[in-house]
Parts: sequence; structure tokens; C-alpha cells
Amino acid sequence: MLAPALGSRALDRFGGRLGFIGLTVLYLLLIAACLGSLAREGELSFGRNPVANLLKTAEEFARPSFLDAWFGNTHLEYRSDDGTVLRTENRQTVERDYLAGLGRATWTTIRIATLGSLLGALLGLPLAILTARNLAAPRPLAWLAKGVLDVARSIHTLVFGLVLVGIVGLGPTAGILAIGLHSMGSYGKLFAEAIESLDMAAINAVRSVGAGPAQVFFNAVWPSVLPQFVSSHLYIWEFNIRDSTILGLIGAGGLGLLITEATSLFQWERLSTVLLVVIALVVSFDALSRRIRMALA
Amino acid sequence: MNPADCITLESVRCTAAGRTLLDIERLTVRHGERVAIIGHNGAGKSTLLRLLSGFLTPAHGQAYVLGHDLSRPLPAVELRALRVELGQVLQGLHLVARLSALDNVLIGSLGRVTGWRSWIRCHAAPELARAGSALEAVGLLPCAATRADRLSGGERQKVAIARLLMQEPKLILADEPTAALDPSATAEVCRLLRQAAAEATLITVIHTPSLLPLLAERVIGLKEGKIAFDLPIAAVDDQKLADLYRPETGNEFEPRQPAPRQGLIHVQEAFS
Repeated sequence: MLAPALGSRALDRFGGRLGFIGLTVLYLLLIAACLGSLAREGELSFGRNPVANLLKTAEEFARPSFLDAWFGNTHLEYRSDDGTVLRTENRQTVERDYLAGLGRATWTTIRIATLGSLLGALLGLPLAILTARNLAAPRPLAWLAKGVLDVARSIHTLVFGLVLVGIVGLGPTAGILAIGLHSMGSYGKLFAEAIESLDMAAINAVRSVGAGPAQVFFNAVWPSVLPQFVSSHLYIWEFNIRDSTILGLIGAGGLGLLITEATSLFQWERLSTVLLVVIALVVSFDALSRRIRMALA
Repeated sequence: MNPADCITLESVRCTAAGRTLLDIERLTVRHGERVAIIGHNGAGKSTLLRLLSGFLTPAHGQAYVLGHDLSRPLPAVELRALRVELGQVLQGLHLVARLSALDNVLIGSLGRVTGWRSWIRCHAAPELARAGSALEAVGLLPCAATRADRLSGGERQKVAIARLLMQEPKLILADEPTAALDPSATAEVCRLLRQAAAEATLITVIHTPSLLPLLAERVIGLKEGKIAFDLPIAAVDDQKLADLYRPETGNEFEPRQPAPRQGLIHVQEAFS
């Protein structure tokens, strides 16, 4: 009686381990295949002189344009070939204009991310209600909603943006719609999980005193779901702030536009300034949202 | 059969998946009685409580609880009306985990208070004062702002009892209210439960024989879904309990062993 049980248990354990080893081997094979095929196609090169390029780029990045304009040479002289000064440019004035533009672009990015996230949340909520398994929506509707969410999640914001720029034209509207449509997928999934982890004990507790449906909703469902909704909203909002900095690349405006400009003109100092703003934005929003999420937990 | 009694059951049978869970010829509980229901696991105790609280409709027979006819599924409005007068203390966390102890006590008033105030948990001052004194009665006023999931098991049951005080039900159903509590918390919860039920009928499902005198004047033993005995507490002796808890199949199982020693025996067996 004991021996077969022990045997099957050992087999189970061994089998589980065998499975893990098998998966690890598969994973290593995949990596080898990726590396090997790239090497055979000669695509694994780092260019002609990566070290020198790296140092040059790093040096340019180390001098963000606004620092250079104030603490480097403040005036740029345009000279003709024989050395006469044609005109002198006050770099601080130019930089001040640029920084003002940067501020406006940042505001645009924040607006795109905020409105896009709200749109995504509003679109995602009904789909989440349809897909949440414990609410048992009609099967075909649930499948349809799940399909919509999966499609939305698998298409990148940038792709949505490119398509939408063709439809609604250049500008923040395309960005807002793109962010909204893509993050609808993430919202739907997170909201559905929040609904699925509903605290049934709480609902029964409120129901057991003879509370009506509205009272059950506001006293048991709402307190259990709201913190998770807010937490997911903050999380995706924060993600969208990062995402919308890229959207400018396709003409949706905002910080991405300045990034494209700086890279296509090889103005690494300016790119450095823009990236500093992006980092500051993301880090401060992250700190803020983490505070709020901790307080809600 | 007198529907004016608190509980009247007549030839009630509850079935699930072809199995008879409960088969009661006749049971009457008058207002103000204190009844304990005992029996081994699967004897139908929880089924009986679910029947009495309107969660389960009998397949057959007549069932009246507080004047409501439960032999057919109640319409939602009448079911709510029944639950307003029916207080329940269940084992485990029977509270809203994310709300404070005080808010959980205030839930007891939801049957009486309706409208927008009960939606946004903006309760009127008299209700707040009552909830505060209910918490004080169970000795938890210092924890009023603590969230229910941060309270200990005993404190949670005390909050549930404070909710009963707030609800003022006519009938209280307690399903193993002291499960997983330590002895001192058990005694405290039983004492408070008896206080809360001073004006009400109290029906308790309980496993610990030593708690019977504390919570009941009348003991109903259930076995295989049937009433094995229905006696005043004084007439219940060790032999009756042993008979009740002895399974039909009859093996080495010793039901009257005190729980800790049983645990010890298991440990010893595991190491021998």
C-alpha cells in the first residue's frame, strides 16, 4: 500500500523536474537559434568603431542644451569664410524659446496620456464586466468582449496612432484615441481580475441583514473593487505617460515630436534635455502614484 | 401547527443531488427560546440554518420562520423583510474586510435605513451613536476605526455581535460562532452572544459540549438529517452526546475525546 504511493509520488516529483529541465533546454535552444542565425547573417556587428562612437555620444549627452547655453559659450558667432562676424546669436534667448516649447510639449504629452487613459478605462470597464467570469455574462458576448480586449492589447499604441493619424489627422486627438484603444485592453483585463477577486464574504455579510441590491453594491462591492480599480488606473496612466512620449514620433505632438526633431538634426544636447524632462516626469508620477496606491491598499 | 411561533417546521425534507440532507418530522421553536443544535459533520446542521435563513427551499413540507412561509422560494422583497429580522453570526470573516469595525456595525442598520445615506455610508448621528454604543458593549470601542481584516478572529466575531445589537433581530442564527477561537475568546464571544440575544430567539450550532449550558436551554441533536433527540439541557448527558456523535459505520473513532488530546494522538501516530 505504501510502496506504490511512494513510487508514484517520486515519479510525480521526478516528472515535474523532468518537465522543468525540458523547458530549460528548449529555452536554451531558442536562444542558441536566435544568436546563431543572427551571427550567420552577419547581423551581430556593433558597427565600425563602437567605442569611439559611444564616447562621442556620451560626451554630447553629458552636455544638455540648457546647461551648455548658460554655462558653456553663451553667444554663437556666425562667420563668413574670411572670418568677419556675420551675426551673433544669443544662445540663451534661443534656448529659452526652446524650453518654453518643451514645456508646452510636456503639457501636451500629459494631456494625451491623461485623456487617453480615461478613455481606455471607460471603454475597458464594460468589457471587463462582460469578461469577468463570476458575473457570468452571456457566453457569446463574453467571448466577443474578450476578443476585443485581446486585439486591443496586442496592437501597439504606435500602430494605432499611425492608423488614426490617417483617419483624424495629425495632432493630440490621434494620440488620445491611440492610447485609449490600446490601454482599453490592459484596463479590461485588470478590471476583470479585480471583479473576479470580489470578496463574496463581504457581499453575503451585507446581504444577510436584509440590505437591498443598491445597498449591497455600495457597502460591499464598491469598497472591495474601488481600490483595485484606482490602483490599476494609476498604474496604466503612469505607463501611458511613458508611452505618449513616443507618440510624437508619428505626429501626435508632445515630447515625441521634439525627440524626433532632435534625433533627425543630430542635436544630442537637445535630446538630452528632452530625455531629462521625460525621466523627471515619469519618476515623479511614479512616486506620486505609488504613494496613492500604498494609501489605498 | 401555529405560524405565530418563531419557527415551525412540519415534515420538512431538503434534498441535494438525490441525497436527503434534512428530514424533520416536526420542530417548533417559540419566541425567546435558546436552542443549541449539535451533531457530527454532515448531520444537517448547516442545512437547517440555511433553511431557516431562507437560503434554501425545502423540497417538501411546511416551514414558517417569523411568520414567513418558506416552503416556496420567497420573493426578493419578502426575503429581505425576513433577513431584516434575522441576525446571523457565521464562522470566519462574515464582515466587509475593507470597512472599519464601526462601518461594519452600521451595516446592521441597512435593513431599516434606506435611501442615499445608506449608499454613501453617510449615516445619521443617532445611528452612529447607536453603533458606537454597540461597539462599546462588546468592548471594541478603541478599535472602531480599525479595518475588519486587521482585527483578530475573536474581535471579528465581537464586531459581528455588535452588528446584531445594531440590527436588533428577532431571531439569531449562529453557525459555530466560536470556531477557531482560543478558549478565553470563546467564553467572551458566548457571553456577548447571549447578551445580544437577550430579547431574541437564539439558535446556535456548536461543537463544544461545555458551551451548551452557556448558550442553550434546549438541545436538538441531529443525526443523518433527522432529529435524534430534542431535550432540555438538564436531560442531556454524556451518554446521549456519545451516541449522537458515534458514526453508524462504527470504527475506532472516539468522538468524546477532548480535541487537544486527539491532536496529540495524531502527532504520536505520525512519529511512531
